[in-house]
Amino acid sequence: MKDRIEETQKKIPLSKLRPGHRGTILHVGGNKVVRRRFIEMGLVRGETVFVRKKAPLGDPVQYEVKGYSISLRMVDADRILVSPENGKFDG
Amino acid sequence: MADFTIALAGNPNAGKSTIFNSLTGLRQHTGNWPGKTVEKKVGTRVYQGKQLEFVDLPGTYSLAAFSPDEFIARDFIIYDHPDAVICVVDATNLERNLYLVVQLLELDLPLVIALNMSDQARSRGIDIDIAQLSNLLGNIPVVATAASKGHGIDRLLETTIEYIGQNRRNGSDCECTCGTQDRFKIDYGAAIESAIHQVEITTEANQIPLNGACSRWLALKLLEDEADIVAGVMDEVNGQAVAKVAASQAADLISEFGDDVDIIMADMRYSIISNIQRQVIHQSGNVGATITERIDGIVTNRLIGLPIFLAVMYLVFRLVIDVSAPFLDWIDNVINGPVAGGASALLTLIGSPLWLHSLVIEGVIAGVGGILTFVPGLIVLFFFLAILEDSGYLARAAFVMDRFMRFIGLHGKSVIPLMLGFGCAVPAVYATRTIANPRNRLLTALLIPFMSCAARLPVYVVFALAFFGSRAGNVIWIMYVLGVAAAIIVGFILSRTVLKADQETAFVLELPPYRMPTFGGLMIHTWENTKEFVQKAGTIILAISIILWMLLNLPWGVEDQQESLFGSLSQVVSPALEPAGFGNWESSGALITGLIAKELVVSSLSQIYVDPEDGVDAEEQSPSLSFSESAKSIVFGFGLAAADAGKTLVSLLPGINLLEEGKAGEDTTLSQALQLHFSPLTALSFLVFVLLYIPCIATMSAIKQEFGGRWAISAAIYQTFFAWLAAVLIFQGGRLIGFS
Repeated sequence: MKDRIEETQKKIPLSKLRPGHRGTILHVGGNKVVRRRFIEMGLVRGETVFVRKKAPLGDPVQYEVKGYSISLRMVDADRILVSPENGKFDG
Repeated sequence: MADFTIALAGNPNAGKSTIFNSLTGLRQHTGNWPGKTVEKKVGTRVYQGKQLEFVDLPGTYSLAAFSPDEFIARDFIIYDHPDAVICVVDATNLERNLYLVVQLLELDLPLVIALNMSDQARSRGIDIDIAQLSNLLGNIPVVATAASKGHGIDRLLETTIEYIGQNRRNGSDCECTCGTQDRFKIDYGAAIESAIHQVEITTEANQIPLNGACSRWLALKLLEDEADIVAGVMDEVNGQAVAKVAASQAADLISEFGDDVDIIMADMRYSIISNIQRQVIHQSGNVGATITERIDGIVTNRLIGLPIFLAVMYLVFRLVIDVSAPFLDWIDNVINGPVAGGASALLTLIGSPLWLHSLVIEGVIAGVGGILTFVPGLIVLFFFLAILEDSGYLARAAFVMDRFMRFIGLHGKSVIPLMLGFGCAVPAVYATRTIANPRNRLLTALLIPFMSCAARLPVYVVFALAFFGSRAGNVIWIMYVLGVAAAIIVGFILSRTVLKADQETAFVLELPPYRMPTFGGLMIHTWENTKEFVQKAGTIILAISIILWMLLNLPWGVEDQQESLFGSLSQVVSPALEPAGFGNWESSGALITGLIAKELVVSSLSQIYVDPEDGVDAEEQSPSLSFSESAKSIVFGFGLAAADAGKTLVSLLPGINLLEEGKAGEDTTLSQALQLHFSPLTALSFLVFVLLYIPCIATMSAIKQEFGGRWAISAAIYQTFFAWLAAVLIFQGGRLIGFS
């Protein structure tokens, strides 16, 4: 049952979610060290992430999670899969 | 010996330092954790007749033990048995902060929560039910504090001491601290709990020593496959068997849940935390755009974010100049006037031998003077760096500049130290303290010397004007660019070889809300940092000044510099510089003095090639110095040149201000003398050598203090080698092309 729901959910990397949009984390990838780091900063499965803004040079990006702000590089945001709120992630 | 030892733990940016400072004031002592380069801060206080010792653990987001900070925090708590741990929690960020708290609770020790920034939480409409929080966490004390305002500290202290007393009465004779509270326990669900149970049984059956930890905690770590814990257990008799059981249990869990055990457990911890959070926090009203958001709207704005960063850097430089310049002149006058004069008079009075006189005035006092000229600039710098960090701006600067840092294998936080390096490498090295990761910190510090510091500018100016006339400005600019290029190359190489990024890690930077730093906190920061510089770096600088004095003045009574030990040393070194085009003792000698301060290269050349009598500026000699004749040694000039080093520490726009000064005060005699002994090609190779070779001893001392002697020496060696290589390439290459 769980699998079927996950299949119908749109899955995109966090890096594709654009400023002003929200998403729910479905999967946290990367090696052990990277995943632990994400987790201890609050990026866990089921959590809502809000994309605040990009840095002046386009990278890194400021996100809001668990009520506070963090900065994440694109290459790291690639590793986190989210389901965009309302199915929208850009525009 | 302290009656009670209390550890302070907490997330970075939760205000732990502020609380530590409130508890200990100036009764602090900084050292290093054994075997590590992480700073260990310990402070003391007397309370109700008891001697208390507070240990400030490194700020961490969890105890997962992947970074040195986490190891240190975890190990201290388990193996050093503090009487209590105060965990400082940011009330405006409760959920994430509880992740660490929950892990501390699993360690089962006397824990007190300091719910800090409670004033800020309140103003944001965040209402926390403290009683309920305390209850849900296993009835541990929770004290609301607002450390920046000084609220709640006394209650915190009182509560902690009382709690320690309580626990001692309840008696824990056993090594681990079990049974100290209505144990907070996370129910991980049937499958995991059964696995934990199995491991616990095996551990006990095989009599694995716990060393102060709890058997449940040990079981958890074994299932999570925590590398050092597993290794430790395997070392024990029968340890292999236990490890095998844990591994097989873990494998079962992995196939059942479809993910690593530590990830599963982390998820569970967070759902417990979510639960707690929901019962404990009541958000009233919509806060609207916070001040932080509004400021960030400007500071990290797409268009003006970068210019703002540059403006902030400019501001810091400017403030350092304006505030410290008056003190520099003062120190200069005091050292060269009353202090030297007084010492001289005193020594003459007691009939001390000439050599002692010279040693004291030109060696020791000049050396100490040299150290002190750095102090005003450093004080100002440490102060403003502390403001940038405590206010929260530093994280934004890193956010904005991160992209640039990627090339050299570093990240945004390295930008400020590197830029400071253009002024003076010494404060820049200390500025690397804002970087948490040790490998990044070290790499940044190693690259700082390549950011051509202001002290080298006089050398560039003199040579450029003497040999390149109208294109002098371009040549100087090229030197700076070469420096940055060298940094990129060296950074690249080091990142791939000796300083590989430990493992691929994610660069996740917290952007804390803007906060007003407390004056007290800033002062303590500044004081501690400056004190350390004088004590640690200062002693090395002094020692080397004395050595140089000896080189220059021995054999005693020597008149001609070439015949002193210094001259002999230069002559030994010079053949090595032959292939670079400047293999004469004069150049080598000048370069050796560059070890003390780079501008000395110019004054040395001046003294050597031009009549030595004209070397030292007669006006700056205090008339009370009856010893003026012999004082024309290069080492005395150190005191003066070092003062200039302090002044050029504050040089603002390299290339512009000083270039004009250079033109105005152009020493044609020196120019002419140089033109006799160098050619444009050799001048170029000489400049490149000066750009890249070993940094001044003040910088080396700073590196040694922060990273250890081994790195300081390695840097000296590879930099000099690199410099030699570059100079040789330029000279030989130029010759091949047809220049001479």
